[in-house]
Amino acid sequence: MSFISFEFVILFVICFLIYYIVQKRLRKYVLLAASCVFIGYFNLLFLVTALFVSILTYCIGIMIESARAKRYLQTIYWSGISCLILCWSVFRHVDVLTGNASFIFPLGISFYTFQAIAYLTEVYWEEERAEHNLPDFMLYMLLFMKFLSGPIERPADLLSQIKELRPATYRMMSYGLKLIVVGLVKKLVLADHISPYIDGIFSSIYTASGAQLLMACLLYPVELYADFSGYTDIAIGGAMLFGLRLSPNFNRPFVAQTTTDFWRRWHISLSSWVRDYLYMPLTSLTRHLGSSGIVISLLVTFVALGVWHGVGLNFVVYGLIQGIIIVWELKTQLVRKRVSQKIGHWLYGLLSGVRTYLVFALSLVFFKAPTVQAAFYFIRHISFQTNSCWKEINIGMSDHICIVSGSALLLMLLYEFGMSRRNLLHQLEMQSIAIRWTMYYLIVFAILAYGKLGTENFIYLQF
Amino acid sequence: MQTIELLEILSGIFRKVLKRDDIFLTENTTAYDVEGWDSLTNMVLIGEIEKTLGLRFTFREIVKLKNVGDLCHAITEKRK
Repeated sequence: MSFISFEFVILFVICFLIYYIVQKRLRKYVLLAASCVFIGYFNLLFLVTALFVSILTYCIGIMIESARAKRYLQTIYWSGISCLILCWSVFRHVDVLTGNASFIFPLGISFYTFQAIAYLTEVYWEEERAEHNLPDFMLYMLLFMKFLSGPIERPADLLSQIKELRPATYRMMSYGLKLIVVGLVKKLVLADHISPYIDGIFSSIYTASGAQLLMACLLYPVELYADFSGYTDIAIGGAMLFGLRLSPNFNRPFVAQTTTDFWRRWHISLSSWVRDYLYMPLTSLTRHLGSSGIVISLLVTFVALGVWHGVGLNFVVYGLIQGIIIVWELKTQLVRKRVSQKIGHWLYGLLSGVRTYLVFALSLVFFKAPTVQAAFYFIRHISFQTNSCWKEINIGMSDHICIVSGSALLLMLLYEFGMSRRNLLHQLEMQSIAIRWTMYYLIVFAILAYGKLGTENFIYLQF
Repeated sequence: MQTIELLEILSGIFRKVLKRDDIFLTENTTAYDVEGWDSLTNMVLIGEIEKTLGLRFTFREIVKLKNVGDLCHAITEKRK
């Protein structure tokens, strides 16, 4: 059941109506039941796995709290973490280990496993108290608006809201609905229009021309961003209709002037997770090595982040590229500052922004290509020849699709630029009813007329 | 050691590690207030503080540090 499916709309509307009809104390059960239906609809085994991981985490959390100041505290914590990682690894690699390609990877497991690890670690560090209310904890783990692909929520952010479930205000609902529409535009009018053509090039790397490889490489970050941030907008907007605020996952990543800054803006809930629960403990362990310790920790962290995305050397290389670039940026801070002063901050900022985008686009070739060999072939055969014809440059897209997706991209960039200056969605609310409803009708018309309806998949569902 | 004296020492360490002369820490200073003090440099700073003052923090102690005031308090506790 994807967010963009008739079944989901039915489930969402029923859940919404019941949520606001029943007594306050029953609301969490309505959300929990809807979450179980949502997960179980994909496959009952997905629900069983999610319930098992959630109950296991719940029990271990209580055990950690009750074992405070006892010698076996560490044993309990590390056993819990090992169980979670082992469970995730088995599901992630079982098709490779058994050679049975028909095995289905449980949806959302990477995300709720990360959430479970965050919870146990916060309890272990005494930053959070163990949750004793099982329904509250289950809802924290399984809430359907963030189950499939995050945002990965911290207990301090979501559990506290679940304990005090408040109905959404009119303003919150209106904002949430607008976010859903923004997400739908990103997904249906931009990502889904260009994805078949980019996928086509990546599935025929050895026969595509150099210009086509170049265009696919340059456009894939746009597709990935529109797809994933579109999903996130829908998730955050949907949760707002129930009075819940999920964490932001993107903050205009393509304006980043360094890869370091890029990772503070891209998939924020994942990058802050690896920072707090992997990178920080690693740097603590290696701090006696000075800056070498930071380098080692960075490389290990980003390789782990790459491997989280999938099995294969290509994901290792993808993570390694990010790590190496960030290490390079760390080591060349002073030199780059001097260059910036020499050539002017504006020009330097522009060049750095382009460099950051290109590095990310090239690293994504390893993320998207089926093997490392295919990725290297892809990069080696990228052509910068200027005599390529339009048919090659547009990678098979019709003029109509080029215009629609190009306009959607421009609108998305303008919207994000505007949002960085002032909250456009709040600004829209302050306009007269005629302007507001004209805008609403125009956007809905644009989605219906130009959106590519009928596709349900989001790229990050596979993780 | 007085907090003011400790803040002077810490400011010196921060200036040396972050290579900036304009750092003057107070008890309320957080990572948001100091340019260059981020997750990449935090542990280098902690390592340098430990080396200079001859003490060692556990990871859980480091996690609990929210501002320079917490850091001063943790150092004072360690030196008792």
